[in-house]
Formats: sequence, C-alpha cells, structure tokens
Amino acid sequence: MSPREFQFVFGGFLTAWLILVIYAVSLGLRERRLRKELDRVRQMVEKR
Amino acid sequence: MREKVMYTLAVIGMALLTWNLYKILFVLPQEANVAAYQIVYFHVPAAFTAFTGFIVALAASALYIATSDLQYDAYAAGVTEVALAFASVNLATGMIWARFAWGIWWAWDARLTSMLTCWLMYAGYLILRRAIEEPTQRARLSAFVSILGCVNVAFVYKAIEWFRTQHPSPVLSIRQGGGMGSGMEAPIYWNWLAMLCFAGVLVIVRMRQEAVSREIDSLRRMAHAY
Amino acid sequence: MIFLRQAFTIAAKDLRSELRTKEALNASLAFSVVIFLLFSFAFDPGNLNIDINEFSGGLLWLAFAFAGALALNRSFARELQNDCLDALVASPMPPGALFLGKSLANFALIFAVEAVALAVFAVMYDVHILSQFGWLMLVTLLTTWAITVIGTAFSALTVNLRLRELMLPILTYPFLIPPLMAAILLTTDLLAGKPISGDNMIWVRVLVAFDVIFSLLAVVFIDIVLVG
Repeated sequence: MSPREFQFVFGGFLTAWLILVIYAVSLGLRERRLRKELDRVRQMVEKR
Repeated sequence: MREKVMYTLAVIGMALLTWNLYKILFVLPQEANVAAYQIVYFHVPAAFTAFTGFIVALAASALYIATSDLQYDAYAAGVTEVALAFASVNLATGMIWARFAWGIWWAWDARLTSMLTCWLMYAGYLILRRAIEEPTQRARLSAFVSILGCVNVAFVYKAIEWFRTQHPSPVLSIRQGGGMGSGMEAPIYWNWLAMLCFAGVLVIVRMRQEAVSREIDSLRRMAHAY
Repeated sequence: MIFLRQAFTIAAKDLRSELRTKEALNASLAFSVVIFLLFSFAFDPGNLNIDINEFSGGLLWLAFAFAGALALNRSFARELQNDCLDALVASPMPPGALFLGKSLANFALIFAVEAVALAVFAVMYDVHILSQFGWLMLVTLLTTWAITVIGTAFSALTVNLRLRELMLPILTYPFLIPPLMAAILLTTDLLAGKPISGDNMIWVRVLVAFDVIFSLLAVVFIDIVLVG
C-alpha cells in the first residue's frame, strides 16, 4: 500500500471510531449530568 | 444482569474487531483497481448497523402504538440515536473514501443524497423529541415520524440498486453484485456483527439514561406537587 | 362512501374559507414570484449565455416547495382558535377523513398557485412549457400530491408545538427529497422539450410509489397524531 493510500485508510478508520467514541463520551457526560440532577431532585423530595 | 450483558457484548465486539482488523490489513490482497478499499469494511457495516437500528426503532414505535407502554418509546429513541451515530460514521467514511478515490468530498448522486436524507430525517426525529416535553405526546408524535422515516430507509436501500452513478455498484453477492472474491466479503459481515455488538452496548447505556431521566421527571413532579 | 363524503365536506369547508380571504393564495403566489426574482440574481443577469434548461426544474420545484409550505403551515394552525381543532377531532368523523379533506383542500390551493407561478416562470425565464404539457402536468400533479400529503401530515403533527413554524420545515423537507428529486429531474427534461426517456421512467414510478405509499400510511396512522 502506498503511503498516501495508507494515510487515507488510517484516516477513514480513525474517523469511524472517533465518531463513535465522541458519541459514547457524550453519553457519559449526559449520564453524569443526569445523576447529579437525580440526586438534587431526590434531596428536594426528602426535604419535604 | 444488564451490566453483564453490556460487558459481554463489548468483549465480543472488541474480539471480532481485532481479529477482523488483522485480517483486513495483513491477510487480504491489495486490489489494484479500487484503491484504499479497506475503508469499505467500516463504511458498509456502519450503514447496515444504522439500517438495522432504524428498523428496530420502527418495531419499537409500532409496539408503543399497540401497547401505549412508554418503555417501547424509550427503546425507539435510544436505538434511533445510536443508529444515527452509525449513519454519521457511514457518511464520514464515505466522504473520506471519495476524497481519496475521486478527489471530491461529496457528489450529488442518488445514493449519497438518499443516505443524507435518511440522516436528516432521523436528526429531525431527535430534534422533534427535544421540542416536546409531555411524555405521551412526545412518544406518539415521534412514533409517527419513525414509521414514515423507515419507509424512506427502504427507498435508500433500493436506490443503491437502481442508480448506478458515481458510487460503486453493489458488489456484495447477496445483492446481485458479482461478489468481491472469496474471503474478501466475509470481513464486511464480521465487522457488521462487531458493530452490532457496540451498538448494543451504546443502546444499553442510553436506555439506562432514559430510565434515570424518567425517574427524575417523576421525582420532580412529586417534589413540586406538595 | 361516507368516508369520502366527509373528506369532501372538510375540503369544501377549507376551500370556501380560503377563497373568501385568499390570504394564503396571494401570499404563496407572491412568495414564488419573489423566489424566481431572487434566483435570477444568483446568476449574472446580463449574461445571455446561461442555459436555463440546466436548472429550470430545480428552480421551479424549489419555489413550489417553499411557497407550498406557507399554505401548509396554516392548514391545521388556523383551527387552533376557538378550539376548532378539538371540535373536529371529537366529531364522529374518522381522523383519516379529516386528514384527507385537509389534504385535498391544500392540494387544490397549492396546485392553483403552481399553475399561475408556472406561467409567470415561463414568461420570466423564457421556457416553453407547452411542448410536453401532458407529461408536465402529470409530474406536477404527482409531486404536488406528495408535497401536500407529507406537508399536511406534519402540519397536523406540529400544530400543538411551541416551535411550530420551525419544526414543520425541519421535518417536511427531508421527507420530500425523493419526490422533489424525481420532479426536478423530470421537469428539467420536460421543460427543455425532451420527452421522458426510458431511463427516466423510473422516476415517474418513484413518484407514483411515493404517493401511494405515503398517502396510505398518512391516512391510516394520522389518528396517532390527532387523537392519540
């Protein structure tokens, strides 16, 4: 495989997995935010 | 239990992927006429995974309409979101391959356009869900969009057969193409399986978030009720 | 059939209401003429070498799609005042008949706008519309019905949302891409005077298939949107 070709194949693979990793990370961030919100609301209910 | 399923799927996916990568990069012969064709081993499975996701979401939406159980609506939303991520992978890898093989990032032919259309429709589905707060209304309306959207996915799939333009014609032996030559076609399906495993992991994570989000909604309602 | 009679009643109501004020008609027509005008600035107005036949179909159908969206937005939105929509949905008429009636009315309105706009287009851009008029009318009717069905369905869907005017285009235009693609390709050929070649017949079939499939889907499933 010529070097240029390899670059593109590598770039293709990298992009594919990068998109999925970014999505997984965004899910993780959302999870953290949701858990914080959940704790906050739980405390709000317990206070009453 | 769910954790175990998740980890099992992740391990299977990683194993398949590693084995496949080895085969793709080192074992398979280099094709002289279709350069950098190894990208197809992610490009096509991503599309298949996305389509599978959209069909599963359609089934979940139909089940919601039949039973009015919001759990199905949660499935539909989660699976659609993951499928959209894989559709993005398909579009991105397609663009990279096009840039390498033909020097252009994009071409307005039937196949690319219909895949982009598909992506736009389901992105619209997710935007619609954001715009509605009431859960039942959200479930109903997005079920409708999901049903209509899946029909267009069928159009996309068929368009690849009907229109032979810039995009390579179907080569998989299951779709009236000539087949790619022995041993070269199998990695596509194995990679598809690996991607399905990863999609499963992502869906499980997403579903957990949906459950947490619903719990928050109900707790919030309870807190504000008094 | 009672179903059809109910649909025609709704269609007649909508048309009568629209024809009294002609608001949507005038607005859509003016909008399409404005689009034609604006597009002319996209190309050097003084350059007489531009071949309009390369993009006549695209220009025409984009104008029709945008102008049609104006009429479609109002379709269900106008029923919100005085709880008219609730009354319609609560009536013994099946939701499919309500939807079909609204679609028929919208179809008539949009087609009327298109007919006039087509004449204006022929004059402004010097295209000969009469050479393949029969096929042109067929393609126009099929595509207009596609725009109407999808647009009315999503108009019903978005009617109760906060961001109605924003969500309607976001949802409608991606769904309309297949029929618009077909219409643009066919119309470009037809306006250039060429009959539809054997290769292009598939686009006519795409239009017919799209119309049939989505009409059925919409009529059958619209009660999810309207009634719940």
